Amino acid sequence: MKLSKILSMAMENLKQRKLRSSLTTLGVVIGITAIIGLASLGEGFRIEVRDRMQQGFELNNLTIIPGSLFAGLSRQRFSDGDLQNISKISGVQTATQVMQIGNVTLYNGNKTAQAFVATAVDFTQFVKVFEDRFEFDGDGPAEYKNDTIIIGYKVNHPNEEDTTPFAVAHDNVTVTLLAPEQLTPFYKLQNHTFNVGGTLQKKGTPGITNFDYWIFISLETGRTIYDTQESDLIFVRVNDPEQSERIAEDIEALFPPFRITILVPLTFIRQVDNILAIVQLFLTAIASISLFVAGVGIMNIMTVSVMERTREIGILKAIGAKARTVLGMFLAEAVLIGLIGSVIGLFTGYGLSYGLASLLSGFIQPQQNTTFQNPETPPLTITPVFSLEWTIAAFVFAVVICIVFGLYPATKASKLNPVEALRYE
Amino acid sequence: MAAILQVQGVKKSYHLGKIAVPALCGVSFEVEEGEFLTIFGPSGSGKSTLLHLMGGLDRPDEGQILIDGVNILKLSDAKLAEMRLNKIGFVFQFFNLLPRLTALRNVELPLTIGGVSDEETTERAQQMLKLVGLEARGDHRPTELSGGEQQRVAIARALVTDPKAILADEPTGNLDTKTGWEIVQLMKKLNEEKGQTFIVITHDPHIADTADRIIHLKDGSVEAIKEAPRGNKR
Repeated sequence: MKLSKILSMAMENLKQRKLRSSLTTLGVVIGITAIIGLASLGEGFRIEVRDRMQQGFELNNLTIIPGSLFAGLSRQRFSDGDLQNISKISGVQTATQVMQIGNVTLYNGNKTAQAFVATAVDFTQFVKVFEDRFEFDGDGPAEYKNDTIIIGYKVNHPNEEDTTPFAVAHDNVTVTLLAPEQLTPFYKLQNHTFNVGGTLQKKGTPGITNFDYWIFISLETGRTIYDTQESDLIFVRVNDPEQSERIAEDIEALFPPFRITILVPLTFIRQVDNILAIVQLFLTAIASISLFVAGVGIMNIMTVSVMERTREIGILKAIGAKARTVLGMFLAEAVLIGLIGSVIGLFTGYGLSYGLASLLSGFIQPQQNTTFQNPETPPLTITPVFSLEWTIAAFVFAVVICIVFGLYPATKASKLNPVEALRYE
Repeated sequence: MAAILQVQGVKKSYHLGKIAVPALCGVSFEVEEGEFLTIFGPSGSGKSTLLHLMGGLDRPDEGQILIDGVNILKLSDAKLAEMRLNKIGFVFQFFNLLPRLTALRNVELPLTIGGVSDEETTERAQQMLKLVGLEARGDHRPTELSGGEQQRVAIARALVTDPKAILADEPTGNLDTKTGWEIVQLMKKLNEEKGQTFIVITHDPHIADTADRIIHLKDGSVEAIKEAPRGNKR
């Protein structure tokens, strides 16, 4: 018997028992919906989180901070020697040190501005490390001098509605900062005047550093004011992000244990990505159970169907249908249920993932504006990702399940003795 | 004329639990091509068992059955199915049409199973329906047909593969006398006009008497073989 005929007869048989066929198919639809829905949602979530982390943690930048979170609070700061040693490690493109000054107030005529993070940096090296983020409104400084100050976007535009900036290039601004008084052990608020070298564009980068809130003065000046040769942070730019874990190990080897902490974005991202991949697989595995349940449903219905159609099978065999043909006819019904269920399940799965995505985003949205959250972070939106691989895998899985569970009743049908089958009432 | 069906010392028992119930105890005869043969006997005489064996639906415990010279004991299940498809046509007491298919589709079924092309299948099935006088009823489902019409469709289905022999198991058993007689006349006509071999099982002596030859079966054995009592033989 031709395959096309077997399929068309199987289709007719399914149509003959519409309610039963649709209920059986519904099982497959639910299974595929769950698998496709959760897998694509999981994939979308994983990619969203990974992209976000990649934005937040520039992959080729390592951040070295003194001390260790759980090994006491005493923090030994970095010296020029430390920086030189780190620079020599292979794979390190640039290393630069940063001195943290803290919260300062800036004055420009009668305008004031507040900078939460004031830093002193070695401009030439610092710009090399953060070349993507050090972009100016208009021209940048022709050269960095000792009295140059660079102002972050949010410091310069404290109020979004007010379009007049706090300062423009070449303005002279006064900075009030708490610094040690010469020849005394006391700290005192001091005024220092700087020339604005440039103001930074809004970058709003989510992550651990957001230059919008920073101001930068030269490291030399910072060291003079604070009478120190040490620094608080070292940023390292590596040539190849894939090498960053090895480089971090090399840097750690330069220091005694627990003396420094290195933030390696690649490690974070890998770990989170792995965890999310496992969660995705786990969700999909749970969803797959529903397909097994659907398979049992198919077996159940088809076994009943074989019993009901015993006489029909007897007739078919009497007029010359081979056991293989009867097997094929029943398996074709199972496969059709699998295929139809998969196609419908694919669409409902898409629907489910979009529905869940907007539902989840709705839950996440209200918690966005906390004090710890960077206000520049765009709201978390999960866009389901439909991969061809998952779709094909779900299809194949559904059809295989249908064949496996349809095999028992179909074999039973094909092995019926025609004489007994014809006698069956 | 050549024997197209040979039954040689056939024995068959059924097992009811551990007890073996003999249905046929050594039956031998031959059927010649073009013959109209009836197998006559009371119920329980083994008629249906014999018919099933002759049609290759079952295998004998002992003895041999040769269909068109081929010993069915030596055929695999698949080959036996092929034999049934190509060389045997069945007509049953309860018609055994597939209820969801139209009359035409029922007649087409053996050809569909045999993988014959769609055009040829339909053409041949329509010819057969015409032959049994139902060319106008092809689109009707069995439930929309009378008993006699259903049996005609069954005969058309049996004929469509141009088999060596048509085996009919009490074809009038589920019909009123008049309709039953019409069916017998139809089979006789096909036998006479087409030379189609018929083997008809019946417990009705009037129908048995229409045959060229009657095999009287009793308690699983051939009691007598009678030749054309009314000069039926052509």
